[in-house]
Amino acid sequence: MKALVIDDSRVMRRIVTGILRGVGFDTVEAGDGKEALERLTEHPDVALCCIDWNMPVMTGFEFVVEARKRQEWRDITLMMVTTEGEQGQIVRALAAGAHEYVIKPFTPEIIVDKLELLGLVGARA
Amino acid sequence: MSAATESAPIFEAEALMGIATDLFETMVDGEPGHLTLWWGEPPELEDSRFTWVDIQGQPATRVLLAASRETGEQLTRALLALPEGSAVGDEDFADAVGEVANVVGGNIKSMVPDGGALTLPSVAHAAPDAPGAIAIIDTYLSWRGAPLHVSLWALP
Amino acid sequence: MTLTAESFDFVATLVRRRSAIQLGVGKEYLVESRLSPLARSAGVADVDAYVHALRRDVTLHDQVVEALTTNETSWFRDLTPFTALRSTVLPELAAAGRTQVRVWSAACSSGQEAYSIAMTVADEFPQLTASITATDLSEQMLVQGRAGRYSQLEVNRGLPAIMLVKHFQRQGATFEISPALRRGVTFRSHNLLDAPPPGGPFDVIFLRNVLIYFDVATKREVLSRVRSVLAPGGTLFLGAAETTIGIDDSWQRIPSAGASVYRTHEKRAA
Ligand SMILES: C[S@@+](CC[C@H](N)C(=O)[O-])C[C@H]1O[C@@H](n2cnc3c(N)ncnc32)[C@H](O)[C@@H]1O
Ligand SMILES: [Mg+2]
Repeated sequence: MKALVIDDSRVMRRIVTGILRGVGFDTVEAGDGKEALERLTEHPDVALCCIDWNMPVMTGFEFVVEARKRQEWRDITLMMVTTEGEQGQIVRALAAGAHEYVIKPFTPEIIVDKLELLGLVGARA
Repeated sequence: MSAATESAPIFEAEALMGIATDLFETMVDGEPGHLTLWWGEPPELEDSRFTWVDIQGQPATRVLLAASRETGEQLTRALLALPEGSAVGDEDFADAVGEVANVVGGNIKSMVPDGGALTLPSVAHAAPDAPGAIAIIDTYLSWRGAPLHVSLWALP
Repeated sequence: MTLTAESFDFVATLVRRRSAIQLGVGKEYLVESRLSPLARSAGVADVDAYVHALRRDVTLHDQVVEALTTNETSWFRDLTPFTALRSTVLPELAAAGRTQVRVWSAACSSGQEAYSIAMTVADEFPQLTASITATDLSEQMLVQGRAGRYSQLEVNRGLPAIMLVKHFQRQGATFEISPALRRGVTFRSHNLLDAPPPGGPFDVIFLRNVLIYFDVATKREVLSRVRSVLAPGGTLFLGAAETTIGIDDSWQRIPSAGASVYRTHEKRAA
């Protein structure tokens, strides 16, 4: 399964990518929302996007709104991974079409548990 | 307009310490115990670097972190899982310390009433000019024995 | 390492006697690291000196036992038990015309398990009222559970975002679970080595990730006490790595999409 990791911080992309690879994902990366839309066009097999909120050019929130307009991307799972932790922001992201939400900072278990909730990795016994 | 100052964010050093502790335990060190308050005299920072984010709101708040280049490099290595002593480029440096400011700033924003948008992090050799800014918190932390200066400012 | 073999044995024996938790060889490091904060706040030189104090002062014993419990937990841990609850156990109770379900979350730690059950019932079975008894021997865990207050890291772990916004209220650095859900859960101090807590008989018992710490004889005793407060036809959930097989054969494993689900053999008298 392929995941797109969207964050303007390379450090953060590396951390998220490392966790996803550890549970069997192939990964591609983007540094802002606009780049992420381009990556999605190039990689139609992406099943999961991990999306930072605060980024230059196009925010993660704007990306979610744009991505949700496209019929062919309907099945992609969108998970916010952001330092924005107000409940109001979570509600906004979910209403715009995000499926899950992780607040930074996080541990690998936090990411993997969310992927289990989303049915993207098997529950560990 | 002036009524807004009454609702100036009440933010305690303890809460800031909690945010920093969570961040360091989970993403920097991967274990507890390496970040504490700095005890004693405020230390001198050598060859310091500064990184900050602003929380736009009423009033606007700035989260400013300062550390020596050396400590910032250690932090970058820890976040990127680079070997001890390996060279750290300017880009990685700015990216890593900037993301630390972003996470701390975002967590603070979630706790203060009426937190607005968060700016992207800046990184520089000097603290940003901010005439009329009032310090809300001004504290030193110790990370593996090295000082980190953390301050929170109400911007005019 | 300041811990002598005698001191380790003393602590291991104390903890085994009080909680049945087995601290075998190789756990010296665990004892040292869990007790050193206690030694520090007691103002004694090191863990060994603290153990000397323990020998004379039984009032310190509770906190030592508590310090040696492992309280790791998360929301909807392992998922499969909650799927089974949602897709079979609760629908069966509802279909039988029940309006109340009694649940025991045994060894509940800080309460995430009990509240995960409460949220499942509240969100998907509005016709049912859950009365949940949540027990642990750690006072500290019970205090947190009762307060229903969790850190950002804790609510990040396994809790669907939709439930975080629906059932919690942010209070500064922490998230507090809604009063309605809190009212449905009663936290009680209880040791699994003692008689079962009041509140039964229970339709559903969660006893997860605690038998692993006990020896076989203790597991058998605990399972038998649990059986005595399980309602006829009731359901027991064990942890993913736990089983009744080879320990107590009055239980039968129910196939249920990966969850550790058990019921007692039906011996219908009438
Ligand atoms: C790993 S936690 C499991 C929490 C939860 N059931 C879960 O599965 O996520 C184990 C808990 O068992 C409790 N415990 C250990 N020995 C116990 C005993 N003898 N009686 C009651 N609780 C006990 C500990 O205090 C701890 O909170
Ligand atoms: Mg960012």
